[in-house]
Amino acid sequence: MLIPVCLFAAATAQANPALTGPVRVEILENVPAKDPLDLSAASVTEIYQEPAFAFVRTPVKFSPNAFALDRSSPFVLRATYERSLPGGAYRFRMRARGLAVLSIDGKEVARSKAQPANTSGDDPVPPPPVRLEGNLRPAPYPHQDVLHSAELAAGRHTFVLTAVIGGKGLYPSPGELAVSLSRGEVLERLLGPDDAPFLTDSDWERLAAAMEARHRAADVTRRRETGKEVAAAWKARHEQVRTTLAAQPGPVAPSTQAPVWNAIDRFVGARLDAEKLTPTGLTSDLEFLRRLTLDTTGLIPTPAEVRGFLADAPAKRRGNAIARLLKSDSWADHWVSYWQDVLAENPGILKPDLNNTGPFRWWMHQSFTDGIPFDRFAAELVSMDGSLHQGAPAAFAQSTLNDSPMAAKADILAQAFLGQRMACARCHDAPFHPFRQKDLFSLAGMLAGKDLSVTKTSTVPMTEGARKPAVNVTLKPGEPVAQAWPFPSLASHADPNLPSKASLLSRAQVAALIIAPENTRFAQVIVNRVWKRYLGTGIVEPADDWSRAKPSNAELLNYLAREFAMNGYDLKHLARMIFESHAYQRKPVEDPAAEMGKPVKYFAGPARRKMTAEQLVDSLHASVGKDLNVEEMNLNPVGDRPPTQFLNMGKPERSWQMTALSNERDRPALALPIAQSVSDVLTTYGWRQSRQNAVTSRDDAASPMQTLILANGILGTRIARLSDDSYFTGLLLKDMPLSSVINEMFLRLLSRPASAEETRIFTALLKDGYAGRRVAGAASVDNVRKSDTRVSWSNHLSAEATLIRMEEEKKLRMGDQPTARLAAQFREKFEDALWSVVNSPEFVVIP
Amino acid sequence: MNITRRELMRTAALTPGVALANTGEPMPKGKADACIFLWLGGGAAHIDTFDPKRRGDGKKVAGSYYDSIPTAVRDVKLTEHLAGTAKVLDRCALVRTLSHNIVSEHGAATNLVHTGRMPSGTIQYPSIGSIVTRELGTKSDKVPPYVVMGYPNIARDPGYLGAKYGYIYLTQIETGPNGFMRPPDVDLNREDRRETLLGQMRDLYAKRYPGDQTVASQAAISATGFRMAGPAFLNVFDLARESKTLRESYGGEFGQRCLLARRLVQAGVRFVEVSFNLNFLNGTGWDTHNEGQVNQHLLIRDLDQAFATLVADLEKNRMLDSTLVVIATEFGRPAAFDAGGGRGHHAEVFSAVLAGGGLRTGQAIGTTDELGMKAVDRKISVPDLHATIHCALGIDPGKNLFAGERPVPITDKGVPVRELFV
Repeated sequence: MLIPVCLFAAATAQANPALTGPVRVEILENVPAKDPLDLSAASVTEIYQEPAFAFVRTPVKFSPNAFALDRSSPFVLRATYERSLPGGAYRFRMRARGLAVLSIDGKEVARSKAQPANTSGDDPVPPPPVRLEGNLRPAPYPHQDVLHSAELAAGRHTFVLTAVIGGKGLYPSPGELAVSLSRGEVLERLLGPDDAPFLTDSDWERLAAAMEARHRAADVTRRRETGKEVAAAWKARHEQVRTTLAAQPGPVAPSTQAPVWNAIDRFVGARLDAEKLTPTGLTSDLEFLRRLTLDTTGLIPTPAEVRGFLADAPAKRRGNAIARLLKSDSWADHWVSYWQDVLAENPGILKPDLNNTGPFRWWMHQSFTDGIPFDRFAAELVSMDGSLHQGAPAAFAQSTLNDSPMAAKADILAQAFLGQRMACARCHDAPFHPFRQKDLFSLAGMLAGKDLSVTKTSTVPMTEGARKPAVNVTLKPGEPVAQAWPFPSLASHADPNLPSKASLLSRAQVAALIIAPENTRFAQVIVNRVWKRYLGTGIVEPADDWSRAKPSNAELLNYLAREFAMNGYDLKHLARMIFESHAYQRKPVEDPAAEMGKPVKYFAGPARRKMTAEQLVDSLHASVGKDLNVEEMNLNPVGDRPPTQFLNMGKPERSWQMTALSNERDRPALALPIAQSVSDVLTTYGWRQSRQNAVTSRDDAASPMQTLILANGILGTRIARLSDDSYFTGLLLKDMPLSSVINEMFLRLLSRPASAEETRIFTALLKDGYAGRRVAGAASVDNVRKSDTRVSWSNHLSAEATLIRMEEEKKLRMGDQPTARLAAQFREKFEDALWSVVNSPEFVVIP
Repeated sequence: MNITRRELMRTAALTPGVALANTGEPMPKGKADACIFLWLGGGAAHIDTFDPKRRGDGKKVAGSYYDSIPTAVRDVKLTEHLAGTAKVLDRCALVRTLSHNIVSEHGAATNLVHTGRMPSGTIQYPSIGSIVTRELGTKSDKVPPYVVMGYPNIARDPGYLGAKYGYIYLTQIETGPNGFMRPPDVDLNREDRRETLLGQMRDLYAKRYPGDQTVASQAAISATGFRMAGPAFLNVFDLARESKTLRESYGGEFGQRCLLARRLVQAGVRFVEVSFNLNFLNGTGWDTHNEGQVNQHLLIRDLDQAFATLVADLEKNRMLDSTLVVIATEFGRPAAFDAGGGRGHHAEVFSAVLAGGGLRTGQAIGTTDELGMKAVDRKISVPDLHATIHCALGIDPGKNLFAGERPVPITDKGVPVRELFV
C-alpha cells in the first residue's frame, strides 16, 4: 500500500540564510562507502556558512512536514574558504575523528585516517590526551591531529577541508572537526578571519556552545520555512472546520450563582448549583502565579517574574501573567514530559531492548515549540515517518523485543487520542471493555499496512484440565486478521488526503479517522486531558479509558471540545480559556474525600496537586541558578559504533531529556554517576526511567523515600551547596541587609515573601557572622563537573575504566566545591537554611 | 450490583484451598521468610562452575576449563575453584537445567531472569524482589523491605506494583544506601540544626493550611522519612560491628556485600539482591568472552569464599532455614571456546543454586548432556525457578496480582520444583 510518491527528494540545495559566516560549507550525500572522497556522483544537499574551521554539528535535514531526516551515512562535509595571508612560514593543524583531507590552493596537504568501527568491549582505556604546548586544547580520543608546515606566498589562498562523517558502524557526527594555524606563535587560531577563536579549551567550549545555539535557532528557521506549505494547508483545513462548526448550534452557557469569569465558569457553576456545592475562594495572587508558572513552564517563577507580576495593576496581573507565560519557551518542555508517558516514549542509550522506541521526544518538543495544531500532531505521529534515530515520528514505530509492535502502537494511540483502552485485547477479548482481540489486531494491521496475525505470546494458553480463564480468547495464534478501522461509531469514513502526507496510505486513513472533525471524541479526549492536567481531575475519569465513562459535566466537555476544534486545535487557546476561568484560579478543595468527593468531581475547586518529578527537579535547579550538569546521555562518546546500537541523547538541560541509564549489566564503568543522582530523585517522585507502556496518571504518591532522597541524596546536597555557581553565593556577596536576603530566599524558593515568624527564625540563625561573611580576596572556581570521556563502551570492562567511574562517583558524593568567598561557618548555616526551605513540604505542594 | 470489577476478577480467578492456581495441585510451602539473591551479571559459565564436564583445552577441545572435585553430596561434582562451596553443598540444591531462549542481549535476559517474563508492551512487570516485598510485607518498620547492592535498573524495578515496592540501593558499601546517609559534610550538629529548621518550616506551613489533607499528609510523611533513616537501620551497615575473623572469612568486596546482606536480613529486610559486578578481576566479569576466560577462576574463588561463608554464617546464626539464598545469572556459556579462548552465550541450559530456605537440599535437579549444552531429562523454565523461590517463601506463584484492574499471575505458569520441598 505504499504510495509511490517520493516525499523527501532532495531539492536543489540553496544556501541556508540562517547560518552565515565567511566559511562556506556544503553537505554532500550519497557518497560511495568504499571511497567516500569520490564525490563525482554525490549530491550537494545543504549549503551554509560557519565563522571558522570548527565543526561540531551539522544542520538537521527536514522533510516538508518538518520531520528530521537521516542523511546518507557516510556523508561529506566540505568547507571552503579563501583569504589573504602575509607571506611566510605557517603550520596547519587538521583535527578529525575520521577520514579528512585538507588542501591549500588545490593541493592536498594533510590527510587523516578513517575511523575504524569497533565491536569490542574490552579495549584498554586510552592514555589521557596529550597536553599541547601553550595549553592548546588536546585532541580528544580518538581524534587525530595532522600537522602541515608550509611557506605561503603573500596573497589570497584557498583552503578546502573535506571530511567524511559517519559510515558503516560509525556515528554520523563530526566530533571536533577543526583546522587551526600558527605562524610560529604557540597559540594557534582556528582557520578563519583574524579574530577567529584560539584552539584553547575555553575558546573551544565557548565556540561549541555558540555553534550549538546558532544551529538550533537555524534549524527552527529552516524547518518552519520547509514546512510553510504544509502549515498553510492545515490552516486552511482548520478554517473549514471552523466554518462547518459555526453553522451548527453549540452548547448555550447557562447562568449560575458561582463567580463567572468566562464561559467555563457558567458550565461549571450551573453544575455546582445543581449539586448544591459552593465554590472555594480565589487563590491569592502569588499562589496563582506559582501554580500558573508551574503549569505553563514546569518551573517556579523567578523573583524578577514575581516582582514584575506585583508591579502590574492588581486587576491586570493575572491576565498579563497568562499572556506572558503562554509565550514561554518552556511551554514545550512541560508538555513533552506528559506525552512521553501517554505515548510510551522509551528510547534507550544502549542496544535497544525491552520495548524501546526511538527518541520521538525531539519531534514532540519541536511540535510544541512550533505550536503545531494538535490534530496535526496526532496525524503526524500516526504516519510514523521521518528519522528513527533523530526522533521524528518514525521513532514511535519502533518497539524492540515486542513481537507485535503495531498492536502495541494501536493500543497506545487509541488510549491517547480516543480514550479507548485496548491493552486487554492484546491477548484476549477485553472482559470489561467493548473490544475483542480482533479489534486491536485489525487496527494494528492498518498501522502495519498489512493484515497481521495474532502472535503466539499474545494469547492466553488453555491447559487441558486447568481452570478456565475468566476471559474469552476468540482468536487462535497465527489466525490472520484483516486490516480495518475498529471504531465505526466514532467515525466511519474520512479523506486520508491530509495536509501532512504519510508514506503509508493505511496510516493516513487511521490518522484521518482519528482527527476527523465528525469524530468529536478526539477533541473531547484531548480537552479532558488538558483539563485534568491543570485542575487535577478530569471531566471524564479515567482520562485514558472512556468505555464506561460518564462525564461529570457533559456540557462543559462539549463546550471545550467545540472551542478547541473551532480554534485550530490550538493547545494554547484551550489552555488560556482554562487559565482565565475562576474555576482554575480557585483554591484547592481541602479534603478531597469530603462529601463523597463531589467538590473535586464537579470542580468546586481544583484538586490539590504536587509537583511532578520533572517540575521538582527543574525548579530546584532553576531556583539556585544551577544547571542540571549531568553527563551526556551516551555510552559511546568516541563515535565508533552506529546509532542502531548506541544512541547519543545529548546533554540534558531539562529533566524530560533524561533517559533510562540502562545499566542492566550492572557494570560500574557503564554508570553515569551524575545522571544517576538526578534519575534517583526523578524516579522516587514518579518519573519512569523505562516507559514500556502508556500511562496517563502516574504513581507518584508521597513516600518517605521521597523525603530522604531529597534530604540526603547527591542532588539535594548540590542544590543546598553554596558553590560559586549558586545564585545564593552571588546574593550573599552583595551589600544587602540580612532581612532582604531572607526575603529573597523565600521569594526565590517559595514565590512569596517571608512571614514575620520566618524572618525571625532565620534572622536568629544567620545574624551571627553575617557582617563578616565575605572573605576578601578569595577566588571563584569553576564547578563544571566533567566525566572522563575516555571511558566508553569499547573499554568499559577494563579495570581502569571501572576505577575511573568509581572515583567519579566517590567525588560526586562530596558535592560541588564550596565557595571560598564566604566564611565557612556562615556558609554552612546558610546552606542549612536553604536546605530546610527546599525540603519543606511547601516546596513540592502546588498552591 | 456493588461488587467492584476487581473483586469480580478475584473471585473468578481464585480456586478453592491452597491449590496452585495454575495446575490444581497443592502448593508446596517452604519456611523461608527472606531471600538473598546473589546476581552474577554477565552470564556465568555453568560448565566452569556448577555443572563441570570433561576438561577442554581453552582452544579446539570443548569442555570445562577446570578440573572437577567431589562435594558433600555424593555423585555431585563442582569445579575445583568451588572448594568451599563443595563442603556446604549438602545445604544447597543445584538447578542444572534452567533454560530460556534469549542469548543475544544481556539486558533482555537480565530482565527475564528478574521478572520471569518477556516484556509485553501493555504493562511493565515487577522484579521478583518487588513481588516478594509485596507479598511478604515489611518485617520491621525500622528497615525498608527491599535492598539492592548494585546499580538501579529496570530489571529490579517494581513495574506495575508501583514505587511503593521499589528498592533502596547502594553501589559501594562505604557510601551506604542512597538517600539514607547524611551528606559527608553534614555532621550531627548540622543535621540537628537542619531538622529543627525543617520542623519549624513544616509546622508553619501546616498551620497556614489547617484543613488541607494533602498538606497535612505531606508534612507527616516528611517527618516519617527522617525516622526511617534512624540508627536502627544505619547501624546495620557498620560491618565493623562483626568480628574481624568473620569479616575476613567473607573475603573481598563481594564477600563484604554478602556479610551486609546477612545483617540486613537479620534486621528484617525481606529481599536483598547482591550484585557480583567486579569485572575488573578478569577484564570481563562473568561475561567471559575471549581473554576473560584466563582469570575467570579469580571470580569463581571470590564467589566461592563469600557464598560458602554466607551459608555457614547463616547456619551459625540459625537463619539458614528461614533464609533462601539464590545464585542466579542471565544465562550460561557453551562448552566450546571462541577464537579468543573465551566463551559465548548459552541459554539452552545453565545453572542456578538455591541454598537454605528450609528446602530439601543436597541434590542436583536436572541433568545436562556430556558437554552441558542440552538438558537430557527436563528443562526448568525461568517461571519454574521463580515459582520455586516463591513457594520456598510461602508465596503462591499462581496468585493474581493486579495491574490496575488487570489480574496478572505472580509467575507465568511457573511450576515449583517439587523434589525440593519436604
